[in-house]
This record gives sequence, structure tokens and C-alpha cells, in this order.
Amino acid sequence: MASVSSAAESKTGNNQFLRIVAAISTLSGWLSAGMIMLSVLITCQMIFIRFVLNGSTVWQTEMVVYLMITATLIGLPYVQRMRGHVNVDLIPIMCPPRLRYYLSLFTLSLSSAIVVVMLYYGYDYWHIAWSKGWTSDTIWAVRLWIPYSALPIGFSLLLLQLIADLVAVILKIDAPFGLEDK
Amino acid sequence: MDPLFLGALVAIITIVVLFSGVSVAIGLLIVSAGFLITFDGLRSLELMPEILFGKLDSFALLSIPMFIIMGSSIASTRAGADLYEALERWLTRVPGGLVISNLGACALFAAMSGSSPATCAAIGKMGIPEMRKRGYPDGVAAGSIAAGGTLGILIPPSVTMIVYGIATETSIGRLFLAGVFPGLLLVSLFMAWSLYSTWRSGNTETLSPRSYTWQERFEILPRVIPFILIILGVLYAMYGGVATPSETAAVGALLCLLIAMIIYKLWHPRLLWQVLRDSTKESVMILFIIAAAGVFSYMLSSLYITQSIAEWIGTLDVNRWVLMIAINIFLLIAGFFLPPVAVILMAAPILLPIITTAGFDPIWFAVVLTINMEIGLISPPVGLNLYVINGIAPDIPLKTILSGSLPFVACMIVAIILLCIFPDIATWLPDYMMGTAR
Repeated sequence: MASVSSAAESKTGNNQFLRIVAAISTLSGWLSAGMIMLSVLITCQMIFIRFVLNGSTVWQTEMVVYLMITATLIGLPYVQRMRGHVNVDLIPIMCPPRLRYYLSLFTLSLSSAIVVVMLYYGYDYWHIAWSKGWTSDTIWAVRLWIPYSALPIGFSLLLLQLIADLVAVILKIDAPFGLEDK
Repeated sequence: MDPLFLGALVAIITIVVLFSGVSVAIGLLIVSAGFLITFDGLRSLELMPEILFGKLDSFALLSIPMFIIMGSSIASTRAGADLYEALERWLTRVPGGLVISNLGACALFAAMSGSSPATCAAIGKMGIPEMRKRGYPDGVAAGSIAAGGTLGILIPPSVTMIVYGIATETSIGRLFLAGVFPGLLLVSLFMAWSLYSTWRSGNTETLSPRSYTWQERFEILPRVIPFILIILGVLYAMYGGVATPSETAAVGALLCLLIAMIIYKLWHPRLLWQVLRDSTKESVMILFIIAAAGVFSYMLSSLYITQSIAEWIGTLDVNRWVLMIAINIFLLIAGFFLPPVAVILMAAPILLPIITTAGFDPIWFAVVLTINMEIGLISPPVGLNLYVINGIAPDIPLKTILSGSLPFVACMIVAIILLCIFPDIATWLPDYMMGTAR
């Protein structure tokens, strides 16, 4: 996991586009952190009702699970920006700089491509849930398009950050794989 | 195409894709999509977001971000240093007490933070300079902390165990309990080696203990006891059948945050944000790999790869222990390059049917697997703990840290061998506390 801590957040330089994307990704990181914290509090509230007041709970379990899923998907661009998604950087480290540059263009493009796939079908999935009015089969009966919307939103934000990372490498603002030459 | 051949193809392509430097989760999605398109047609991609979402749709998963918040709020405080101080003050009369208290502090802190690098950093910052000052060899000072830090993924509550439990649908409560005695076994082996090599280096006359008054011993306790109580409380709540791991973890996370704020005055919004930011980063990373690994394992089973491998192993006429050794070598190599969580998530869907077909207990295997992953944490090239130690004690050459850690790797291998001979070390406690499984 050396790759997690090997580099800090991706660089933006003075590029307006990169800065805007960085700001969006940071904002989604805040949202994600907020949702995780909220799910801690809701779980504690649920435990209080159940064990202290001996009451029954309806919406809490479902709510915290959806919050966690949303936090994960919305948090993707932020973690991408902080280079928090683990990778194996053995080969990139061993590569000569020029090859490393092309390898990084390749992996970023490939990553963007799969994220486009997830975005396209994720939107599709959300759209079906929305147009057919799907609800969860619990007493609370959540309209499922609400949690499912995290799929298209999360993946489009991740795509944006991946494109920004690609642009930063092409414009030589950021080093490929965040690996600075020593 | 023969599913077994297909399986080999998936393995090779996965390795190539991951080694290109693409992130693990995205890499798993790429490989899954590639094989699904080729063998099931374009329409099979439709299911990917649904499976990804469905994989995350579980209350048990919630324990991961919760335990991470618990750990990082403890790691952000001086709790590590205090713990170390406390043990040092109480164990000062024990021969070689310093290295014992360091390893003990590692074990306790590892349990509280659940993170190997955080343990290394928290205990090592105080422990390594102090050990060197008092004449312990550099290799022992660095190696003991590097090895002690790895205990975080074995001693409960451990995020790695939760991930294994979720990936293999085994009881998290049982897994936690199974880690207790092997954890203690490892600590004892580490301590024995440290004492022996210190004694062998002949520097014993400089290992003079400092003496502490009883007042000094007691005044430090209020700062460490709350955290230990929370850990004990969490474990009690889980095993007393009071609450599920996720519920207890949520309360634990809130309490640890509050204690960090009250005792360690961590009330500044910027410091709090740091704790939240770090835990969000780690949680999102792990949860995304879990989701992607869910898609990956769907691909494996929809192409009949998982089933065929299990069948094939069943017909193979190899000794089950030869199989176990082969699996361990495979995991060891994977652990050199990838973090434990990623290895477990990728390997579990393939390995679990093999393990159970060969008649091994999945709970016992979790412990062996985790110790195996610990070896990866202190072996090059990734060996995260080695770099953490290198960061906090830059004047110890990486070579000394490495050679100092090697004997501890040997201790871990001894522990794995002992576990193979006496599986009860892992399974006795969960069976005793929760009744025999099956």
C-alpha cells in the first residue's frame, strides 16, 4: 500500500479547469465525510431507541446503508484526487520516464472508459427505477431512484476527475502516477 | 471454452491489468467488463452497476467506516505515546522491559486503531529512539515496531477480518475471536526473539531500567484506560449478543471521537476534519474495492470459473497440506504487492470453495491468511511498515530495518506452522464462546 501514501493530492497548477474540478472533488469529499458521520449518528440514535427506550425503529437501518453507499460513490472523485485508490505502482516506478508517461496516459484513458460504461448503465438503472417508480420492499418503502441516483452522479464526478488527471499529465502539470523523479 | 482455461486467462489478464498501475477497484471492473463482453455479449454490462450497488447494500458493511473512524480518531491523538509510557512505567522492572512494553503497546494500539502503519508511527515515534538510547540494537528497535504494527490486522476489532467475513460470508464475531490467541502467540514470539537478540548483542549492561514512583505510574492511567474500556465494551457488546458489529462500531466510533475531543482536546474543526477526511478516504477506497470485487466475482461465477476450479481441485489427488502450502505461497506473493484488503477480496471467491472442499475451516484459514498478509506488510517491495519506520527513524538505514524485520517474518512463519499443527489456537476461543460452528 506504499502507493497510497507515496504522493499527496494531484496538482492543479494555474489551470482554471483543473482547479474547478479539484474544487468539485473536494466538495464531494466533504459531502461523503458528512454522510458517513451522519450514519454514525443515526446508528447511535437507533441503538438508543432500541436498547434504552425499548422502542422499534423503521427507517434507520435502510437509511444508514443508503447513506454509506452514497458516501462511497460520491466520495470516489475525492479519493481519486487524493490518490487514495490503491494501485500496484511497481512497474510504473521501474519504467523510464517516457514510458511511464505513456503508461499513465493509457491507464487513465482505460479507467475513464470503464467509468463511462458504469456511468451509462448506472444512469440507465437509475432511469428505470425512476420511470417505473420502484420502491424498496420494506415498511419504509424508499423510492429507489433516490439512492440509485448516487450511481450516475458518483461516476460522472469520478469521470470528471479522471479527465482532469489526464489533462494534468498531458499538460505536464502533474507527474505521471504522481511519481516525481528523484 | 474450458472454464479452467478461462480461469487461467482471467488470472493472467488481471495480473497484467493491475500491474499497469491502474487502481485496484477500477482494474477489477475493467477485467470483469472485458470478459463479460467477450463471453456474454454487450448486454451483460447492463448488470454491472446493479451488482456494484447491490454488493454495497448491506448493513454489515457499515462496520468498516465505523471501525475506521474509531481507529483514526485514536490514531490522531497522543494515545499511542501515552499507552507506551504507561506500559513502560509499569513494566520497568521486567528484564528487557522496554522492548516488551513496546511490543505490548503495539499490540494494544493495534487493537484500538486497527491500522498497521498508524501503529508503527504512533508507537515507533516514541519507542524507537528510546530503545536505541538505552542500547538496544537498531535492528531490534526497528524490527520489533515494524512487526508489532502488523498485529493491527489480526487482533480484534480488525477491518481486515471484517472484509474477510463479508467476502466469505463467515461470522465476523467468530473471526474476531479467532484472532485473539494467534495474536497473543505472535506477540510472545516477537518478545522472545527481541529479548534473545538483545541478550546476544551483549549490550545488557546499558539496558538499565529507569525507576518510576507509584504516583507516576498511576497518573498516566486515566489517559489510556478510557480507550481500553471502549475496546473491551465493543467486544463485550458483540459477544454478549447485545448488538451487531455495525451497531457496536457506530457507538465505538462516536465514543472514541468524543474521548479524543475531551481528553486530547481534539476540538479544533481542522483537526476533526483531518480525522474525518482520512477515514473517508480509507473507507471509500475499501468499499469501492469491495463493490468492484463483487462485480469481479459475479463475472467469475457467471462464466462458471469459480465452480469449475472448486470441482477441479476436488478431483485433484494432492495432499491437502500441499494445497495449503501452494495457496499460502500464492497469497504471500500477492501480499508483497497488494494491501491485505485487496488480496482478500480478489482471492476469497476463488479460494473459499477450494478451502472448504479440501476440508479446511474457513475461520482458521482467515487467521492463517491474515498472518500471511502481515508478512507482506514487512517485506519488500511494498512492505508499508518498513517505509513508515524509515520515515520516523531516517538515520537507521533501510537495510538495517529490513534485516531487523526478517527474524520477525520467521516468527510469523513459525506461528503459521504452529497454527497448522494446532488449529485449536485459532478455533478454540470462538467455539468456546459462541458454540461449535455447523
